[in-house]
Formats: sequence, structure tokens, C-alpha cells
Amino acid sequence: MTSYRLASAGSVNRGQPLTFTFDGKSYKGFEGDSLASALLANDQMLMGRSFKYHRPRGPVTAGSSEPNALMTIGSGARAEPNVRATVAELYDGLAAVSQNRWPSLAFDVGAVNGLLSPMLGAGFYYKTFMWPAALWEKLYEPVIRRAAGLGKLAMQADPDRYEKSWAHCDLLVIGSGPAGLMAALAAGRAGARVILADEGFRLGGSLLSESASVGGVSAADFASAMIEELEALPNVTLMPRATVFGWYDDMVFGAVERVQKHVGTPSPDLPMERLWRIAARRAILATGSEERPLVFGGNDKPGVMTASAMRTYANRYGVAAGGKVAIFTNGGSGYRTAADLVAAGVDVTAIIDARVQSADAVPGGVRVIRNGGVVGTKGRKRLEALIAERSGFQEQITCDALAMAGGWSPIVHLMCQRGAKPVWSDEAQAFLAPDVGSAFIAVGSAAGADTISTCLKEGATKAMMLARDLGFAAYEMNIPEVEGEYDPAFAPVWYVPGARDKAFVDFQNDVAVSDLGLAQREGFRHIEHTKRYTTAGMATDQGKLGNVATIGIVAGMRGVSPAEIGTTTFRPFYTPVSFGALAGTSRGEHAAPVRTSPLHDWAKKNGATFVEAGVWHRSAWFSREGEKGWRDSVDREVQNVRRNAGLCDVSTLGKIEIFGKGAAEFLNRIYCNNFLKLPVGKARYGLMLREDGMIFDDGTTSRFSEHHYVMTTTTAYAAEVMAHLEFASQTFWPDLDVRFVSVSDQWAQMSLAGPRARTIMSRVVEDDISDAAFPYLAAKTVTLRGGLKARLFRISFSGELAYELAVPAGYGEAVADAIMEAGRDEGICAYGVEALNVLRIEKGFITHSEIDGRTTPDDLGLGRMMALQKPDFIGKRMSTRFGLTAADRLQLVGLRPLEKLEEFSAGAHLLKEDATPSMANDQGWVSSTCHSPTLGHTIGLAMLRSGRERYGETIVVWDGLHGREVLAQVCPPVFVDPENRKLQG
Amino acid sequence: MASLITCPHCGTRPKEEFSIRGTALTRPHPAASEEDWHRYVYLRDNPKGRYQEYWHHAAGCRRWLVVDRDNVTHDVFSVTDAAPARGASE
Amino acid sequence: MSLTLFHRHVLEDYLSDFGTKANPNHLAVIRRPAIFSVLAHRGHDASVENELKSVEGIDVRDCAPGEWLVVSTSAGAAAIENLLADIAGASIVDQSDGRALLRVHGPNVRKILAKCVAVDLHPDSFPIGTSANMLCCHVAVNLARTGADTFEIAVPRSFCGSVFEEVMEMGREFALTAAFADS
Repeated sequence: MTSYRLASAGSVNRGQPLTFTFDGKSYKGFEGDSLASALLANDQMLMGRSFKYHRPRGPVTAGSSEPNALMTIGSGARAEPNVRATVAELYDGLAAVSQNRWPSLAFDVGAVNGLLSPMLGAGFYYKTFMWPAALWEKLYEPVIRRAAGLGKLAMQADPDRYEKSWAHCDLLVIGSGPAGLMAALAAGRAGARVILADEGFRLGGSLLSESASVGGVSAADFASAMIEELEALPNVTLMPRATVFGWYDDMVFGAVERVQKHVGTPSPDLPMERLWRIAARRAILATGSEERPLVFGGNDKPGVMTASAMRTYANRYGVAAGGKVAIFTNGGSGYRTAADLVAAGVDVTAIIDARVQSADAVPGGVRVIRNGGVVGTKGRKRLEALIAERSGFQEQITCDALAMAGGWSPIVHLMCQRGAKPVWSDEAQAFLAPDVGSAFIAVGSAAGADTISTCLKEGATKAMMLARDLGFAAYEMNIPEVEGEYDPAFAPVWYVPGARDKAFVDFQNDVAVSDLGLAQREGFRHIEHTKRYTTAGMATDQGKLGNVATIGIVAGMRGVSPAEIGTTTFRPFYTPVSFGALAGTSRGEHAAPVRTSPLHDWAKKNGATFVEAGVWHRSAWFSREGEKGWRDSVDREVQNVRRNAGLCDVSTLGKIEIFGKGAAEFLNRIYCNNFLKLPVGKARYGLMLREDGMIFDDGTTSRFSEHHYVMTTTTAYAAEVMAHLEFASQTFWPDLDVRFVSVSDQWAQMSLAGPRARTIMSRVVEDDISDAAFPYLAAKTVTLRGGLKARLFRISFSGELAYELAVPAGYGEAVADAIMEAGRDEGICAYGVEALNVLRIEKGFITHSEIDGRTTPDDLGLGRMMALQKPDFIGKRMSTRFGLTAADRLQLVGLRPLEKLEEFSAGAHLLKEDATPSMANDQGWVSSTCHSPTLGHTIGLAMLRSGRERYGETIVVWDGLHGREVLAQVCPPVFVDPENRKLQG
Repeated sequence: MASLITCPHCGTRPKEEFSIRGTALTRPHPAASEEDWHRYVYLRDNPKGRYQEYWHHAAGCRRWLVVDRDNVTHDVFSVTDAAPARGASE
Repeated sequence: MSLTLFHRHVLEDYLSDFGTKANPNHLAVIRRPAIFSVLAHRGHDASVENELKSVEGIDVRDCAPGEWLVVSTSAGAAAIENLLADIAGASIVDQSDGRALLRVHGPNVRKILAKCVAVDLHPDSFPIGTSANMLCCHVAVNLARTGADTFEIAVPRSFCGSVFEEVMEMGREFALTAAFADS
């Protein structure tokens, strides 16, 4: 193995060697290396296999646009596929594995695709796997899926933590090269709150890779000095390892910070990655530019990479890309690369310049082939030679690395994510950033600047402009002198014709020039169609390198300007973002906040099983020893409430306090029934309608004093009702003096129901609660024995004599305990929402199963509540429409099976006997069912066409889902105590 | 990821704090024609471009706001309290 | 029969696992604060606010136009109710059991809260004395800056466990500890 580590160049920390493995083999690198630079230093140029043809590939860049060097880093649950080795920071113990090859990277059986490659052109899958259709799911899809895909996911749960954070700043600077650093420093010195974010693990951007000197020191040392000064400014936040991946509405930027990706043993107290939402008043795009590869036959051989990548490996990492290097260029970058390599002692065999002439300085002893081109390459797992052509004369040149300098494309991705398209410039021969307003501007080479000195100057002046715009005093920046910079101007060469081997425009997807031609011939001419037909610009790199060439070549084929072809659509994310970062802490049981009742612990110690109802955890039933399943518990609880008494947690109901001189009038307009004359000390059941006449919610409202009411809502609609009241008060009737506040969290509320309820409650409450003193629908503040103030309501959702007692939440558990103790010898039990549901179905009380947005009060048998004599209430005007009063509307009825043992489910449809199931024959549906332990069989509530006229009729309950048909008798929707004797007893 | 609305009472907040009810319409008089009520309850213009909507600052001041914005560009022209008379004397 | 009823804080079980030694970044749970909603009636926004400002021994937190939370960590709910009862044009509601009061303090408090709320808490835009309703860990709370490095969060009781766990998780990076303020 040859070492390609240069003797002295670069800024890696040679005093800190690191050990890592690649495909199980151990290697050494240095602190400051990327995984790719460390592998190159160890003569490991082959780093991956291509997606379609499984061709051997090496790195073609030294940055985030890398299409080839994708690897899986880490093992077990932490194995992460498709990491670009060019940006992965080396750490001690890093374990990387190559992808997309079998059995090994060096010998890949899948590479047989390479021999068949003439058959596998664009659209191959679409054309081949069409007939017979029967094979799509059974054969084609599984086979294609096995062959396709990049990398493999670890199928274990991610063991690491992720978090999200907001950040706010006056100026966000994206990119820390010469322009970004100057911009951050200028705005920082002016006093603005600045965030400087860069995707690299070391700040400095291209300054770390260039050989020029800035301000009398090396470019890298200059960057270090700038960063040191920025670090000292309290108003500046530096964010290395943070990729700004998206620009969203209202100047919010998304960024992902790789907090511990470079750490062998991550700390459990830190997240692996942190997702930032950065709200910036102004932003500067200083993302630099991307060097374009050149498109020629065999341009994907390992060892062929961009010239700037080669300079980065040499100047930043101290690694030579090869022992004998050739350079193919159309501009100054190739000559600068040659000079840097010669200075580092690397043998440069030839510069092949596509141009006839140029003024670029040629390093001593290096041969230049002008007006030439590369038309082919030799070698399998690594470049061995190239074929150069000039004036029809071909020559083989031995080399093990080839630099491509194909010109520059400003990196304007972020600026184009909100609909603006980049603008083609004939002068720059590149797509430039669009004008997106004065809050977000591009500087430096992202804006088309060519030299380091221009970047430094632009960064400073444009940042000052923005800072002044925000009201900060100008700070005059000295622009440091740059020595030894080069002119990166170029003459475009979109591709070199005459290749025998494939000439790739998109390395990751194996899209060659021939595929683009096929797409044009077959009619996929629009660039978005060309992209989808050929897959150019897809997958993890999203065409960062290849898109411009694709557009240029298609333009050439069509004989038009690239401006006419245009670009494909830019969308977030700039580079891939993990699901972990996007989810943050919202996973598993933390997927949503959990809401618990003040009686949660009381329920738990009484044996409750909880059910999730929205974000609430509600007690569903209370198991006792010997009970085999939930039905046993529910049946026992129901029977015990009907026979003795039960205590149920109803704290989850919405509770709203209403005040004001206009409160009575307001409630009268909110509810469809009368509320003006509700006496103080009384509760009333109310129905709220929507403006279209359908029921919105139900509940009780109690009057505690002349201008003070307390409203309860259903659990499900608590938030909606509150918003509804606020909407009506603020937009309909702002002149009514009425104020609300939610007190849902202030009170623990429990329902004590059953024939023994009064006996038990009177042991806890000091006040007289005899039927005379505290009749049905009484509501008032009472004093509990011992002095605690509470609210007592005589309301019932079970049909039994019942009370709802509300106490301050912190006392909820103690009061519930006291009631259980007081009721012990009366046979009290705790009951949950399942029993509550059975009790209310037996009694024919409605919930949102019946109030489903399609039912009017009359549909549910509550038509007499409608106070149409009131001048106005919400829903009044539309409720008298013909369609809402027609006689054949669906009406609430009860159902009991003809055969006692038969069961049916909610959701089943109703049919006349002997009718075939069809929409035309549909008579309605079942809204609620349960097993009634009181009656000993299934009962149901249903919505039936003209239902109230059909009591006694036999009907078919048809359940297509379970394939079940049951005969049932239609009956009134009250199965227990229709005379309300128990309720009012 | 995010967009921001500047509440006239609470300042700049992420859209997660709000819920949107739709077009800011005026409720017809109770005795208005069936046609007016039908239009109010069911018909919406659904314009592309500038649009006035009711937004509820549910996690903030719980005031109903009228947000005047362009639904293509999300340029917000104004955010005002839906009840401008709030605080006026009786 | 007289009942002896014990009051239970919603975070009672959450805090049993934490030591009492407070780190520099610390979350103190106020055990029995007095918290009242104050609502101004039509035309009384300004007068109620002025009267509230003149009451001693209470902190007034902004919720909305004409709506405040009055907080006291020294006096009990009954005493505060008496103080507020005479304010003309206002309705008051006891929320002492409906809100838990968390006081987060320390050198990294802003970095911790940046992971919980979207509002810019830089002293220039959220100075001492500022308070507002906002989303904190997906829950609508009232957050107030009571000191350079101190914030108080009034959290609806039913969501308190969730919010507390999330704030503590966000504070792990800075060794955030938690305890009842009186222990």
C-alpha cells in the first residue's frame, strides 16, 4: 500500500492519529481528516459502486455534493447508510462499510450489469416490466426493489436523542468562506445579532483549501484569525456542522446541526442531531460555488475528480490524489491545481486544455496540450491512463488521477426553494441567484464573484448594507490584501464527443449523455420530463454536480441556450435530513403531549385501565380479581351503579367560566334553547347548533349568580366550544359585555351516580342535599365536611340519581378517596368511561356518536328544545330549511335484536327485510351499541329514516365489514326508566 | 418548517399557535334572505392571491384576528383584531 | 364526620427521583402559588390594569387585551382573592389549582427555553417584566421573565407532567435539576 499523505501540506493535526476501519480493514488517519481524505491517504481510491451499473467509483468531490463515495457508518442500531465520506468527520474508532456491492467492493457480482449496460438505458424499467400485468406485484416489484435502493437501513430503533431549537437573529450568514466570514464580522462588529452557519466540520470554507495568502498569512490562518475574533463577540453565534437546508416563509430557515456525529461514544445528555428553526430578519447566502466535472468517455473512473477537490485534498488534508496526475481543464482552476500539486511535490504529467490559448501561468516542467480533450480512460478499479485527443490525433497518457476543471456553478439552491428560478447568464455561463428581495441576498461566489478578494469585499459591503438597513451604525471594514490568487474564468465545454465508453453527466444515477439523447428522441423534452425519464438529478445528491451539464447538453442537442431549457424545481432539503432530526423528541409515548386528569392517580390505585381519548388518558374500566376481561368489569360496574352507586371521573369535561351583564343574552344566542330565564342555582341542558342548523355540541350551563355562569362541554369539543364562544363574542356581538375563561384544569370533577348516591354524598357535604333542598338540576357552591369549598351539580348522564362534584384539582384525589370511604358500606364502586357509555346508551343519552355533524335537534328527538321564538341564535336561520325539516329524515331510534344472543356493531347499516344491500335501499345506520347488563342483550342506538314512526318494525342490521346480518326490532331510544323516576328520585 | 404571523397583541409567533377558520365574512342579519344565508354558510370564492381570513391565536391571547395575506406568496399585509372596538367604553 | 383532605401537587411523583441539590441550571416548582385569572369587562381594560399595578405583593402577567394572570408566591389564594375582589369592572377566577408554576433559572436558561418556545427571549425583545401566553413544548402556557436568568412558566395542570418532562429533557445538556421550591 502506497501512502499518499504529503510530507507537510495541509492543516490536519498530525500529532493526533486516529484509527478507523473500512470494510473491516484497519487504517490510520489524523484529526481533521474527512473519511474520504483518510482513505485516499491510504491508497483507497475505490469507495463505492454506482447505483445502476455497479461501476467502481471513487470520490469526485471533497464536499457535500458528492455522488459516489456513499458509505454506511456505524453498526447495529446506529448504522447510517448513504453518508458522504467526503463530509464525514474522521473520529477514532469510526467503522465504515461500502454499499451497493456483493460480495465485496473490489469484486461485485452485480457489475454484470455493466456488460448489459447497453440494454439498460433510460426508461429501461418502464419499457421492460410492463407485461404481463399479473407479474407486477409478484415478480417485477420485488426483484426491482432488491436490486434498487442505496444502502440499507438498520431495522432497529434509533438509540439516540434528537432535539429541535429555535434561534433568532438579525442576520443569518450561510457559509463561512471568505464572503461569509467577512459578512459575519462586519455585521457582528456593527452590533447585530449574527448567526454564522456552515455545513463543514471546520469553519473557513474554501479558505481552508486555497493556496493564496490573505492579509499576509495563509488563507487557512486568516480564516482561523477571523473565527477567533467572531468567537469573542457576544452577539455572534458560530454554528459549524450545521447545514442550512431550507428557506421557508417569513424568513425562517431550517438547519440541522450534527452535534455528535463525529463522536465515537455519544453522550446520552446531548442530542445526536439538532434541528434549528432560525428566524432571521436578514440573511446572506455565502455558499460559494461548485466546480463542474467535465463530461467525457470514462469520466467516472476512480481517480477522476474535480480540480478543486484535488486541491482540497492536497492543501487542506495534505493528501495527494495520485502519484502521477493529469489535468483536464477549460479554465484557470486546472492551472492552479497543477501549481499547487507541483509545489507539494506531486508529479503532474500533463494539462489538457480545451481552449486554444490562455494566459494562465504554467508551472515549470508541466506539459500543456492546448485545444485538446480527453476521450477515454483506462483502468478498472483505479485510473491507469487517459486517451487525449487533439486535431484527430489520439495519445495515451499514463496517470493514476485526473483533475477535471469544467467551470463553476454558484450554489443558489436555498434562494430558489420558494418558487424563484435561477437566471442563466451568458457572460458567466452559469445559472445565477434570482432576486428574492432585499432581505435575503447572495454574496461572493454564490453571487458569481470570481476571486477571493472580490468575495472578501462583497461580504463586508453587503453585510454592512443589511446592518444599516436594520438600524445598526456602519462599521468600516479593512479589506485584507490577497496575494497569489488566480483567475478562475473558463470557457464552457459541455461534453467531449467521440467517446467509446459512457460519458456520465450524473454519476450517482449512472445517467450518460446517450440517455439524455434517448429522452429527447422519445419526446421527454421538457427538462422536468428529461429528469424523470432518465433519473438525472435524483437521489441523495439531487444533481448538485450534474444538473448544469444535463441542461447544457440538452440545450446543445436542441440547438438552444440553457436559458431556454431552464432548471428543474428546487425544494428543501439541500442535503438529506434524518427522520430523527425532523421528529425531535416527538416519538414513542412522547409523540404528543399527554393530558392527565387530577383523578388519574386515584383511578390508577383503584385498578383502572386507561384509554387514550385525544391527548387525554381516561379511566376506561376498573378490573377486579377474578374478572376475565373488560366486559366482566364493565357489566359489574353498570349493574352496581344501577343497584348501589358508582364514582366516575368526569374531570375531562370542558369547563368554562362566563361573566358579564351580557352573559345571559349571549348564552341565549349560543344555545338553541332558552337561557335568559335560567334561575340562579340551577343547571340547564343546552344544545349548541352550527350556523347550518346541525348540532355542534351539548352540555349543561349553570347559573351561579346573576352575571356568572359555568358551562360544561363534552371532553372532545372542549377546545372547539371555547373557540366558538370567543368567535361569537368577538366577531358577531362585540357589544355584549361577556368574558370567558377556561377552568377545565382548575377543577377535579366526579360523578356519583346510583340509588345510594344521596346517602353517600350527604356524608361528605355539609349542606342539605335532600331532594327538596337540592332537586334535580340544582347547582351551587357547597362546603365539604372539613371546610373545603366545592361546586355541586345534580345532573346525570346515567339516568340514575346522580351528582357531579367539582373540587379544586389538588384535592381531587383526597375527595374521591373520601367518597369511596363514605360509600364503602353502601357498595360503591369506581366506574370508567366504558360503563358510562353503557349507562348512557341504556338511557338513550347522546354523545358525538350521534352528534356527528349531520343531525339536527329534531333528528335526535330534541326538537322541542328549539326556541324559534327567540329573535336570533346560532343556527336558527338555516334550521327551518326544507331539507332539515323533511319527514323522511333519519331519526334516532333504539334497536334490540330479535334473538337475545345476537350482537351487532356501530357502523352497521339498516335495511328493510329482504332488501338487497345498496345505497338506494339504505335505511340508516347504527350509531352506538353495547351489551346491556341491565337487559341481558345487545342494544343499540341508530339513525333510521322516519324512525319515530317505525317503532315495532323488524329491520335488518347489515354489517358488510364483518359479513353479519341480524334482525332487530325498532324501539324508542330509551331502554331504562323512561319515566325518569330514578333520575328525579 | 415554519411560517410566522405577527399578532397585534402578542408579537411574532409561529403558525402552530394559530388555527385558521377561513374567509373573514360578516354574519348576515338574522332576518336576511335565505339567499344571503346560503351564501354565508356555504359559498366561498377561494381566490388565488390576496385573501382575508379569520385566524384564532389559540395558544396566545385567544383573540380572533383578520389576517390579510397573499395565499400564493404568503406575503402578509396586515393582522388586525377582528373586533376593533375591543376596549372601547360602553 | 370531618374530612381531613390532603392537597397533592401534580408533580409530586415526578420530583421524587430528583436530588435536592440544585445545579446552576435549576427548575423550582412552586408548591402552592396563588394564581387568578382577571378579566376586564367592556371599557375597563385600562382601569383594571392600573388598579392591578397598584396592588402590592402580586405579579401581574399579561395574557390578552383585558386579561391577566395574577400570581403570588407569598400570600395564599384567599388573601389574593380579597385583594382583587374590589377591582371595579373586573371578574376574577381562582386558577391556583389549574396552573402549575415552574421557575427555571440559570446561566443556560435561554438555551434551554429556545428548545421549548418559539418566542425570541433575548433581553432586547423580552426584557425583565415581560410575560405572554405562548406554546411551550406544544402546550399553551404563560411565560414570564422575572430576572435576567429567570423565567416562570404557568402550565395547565393536566399538561404539567408532559411539559415538565420535556423541559427537563431539554435541560439535560446543561445538567438541569428540579425540586419543589420549599424543599
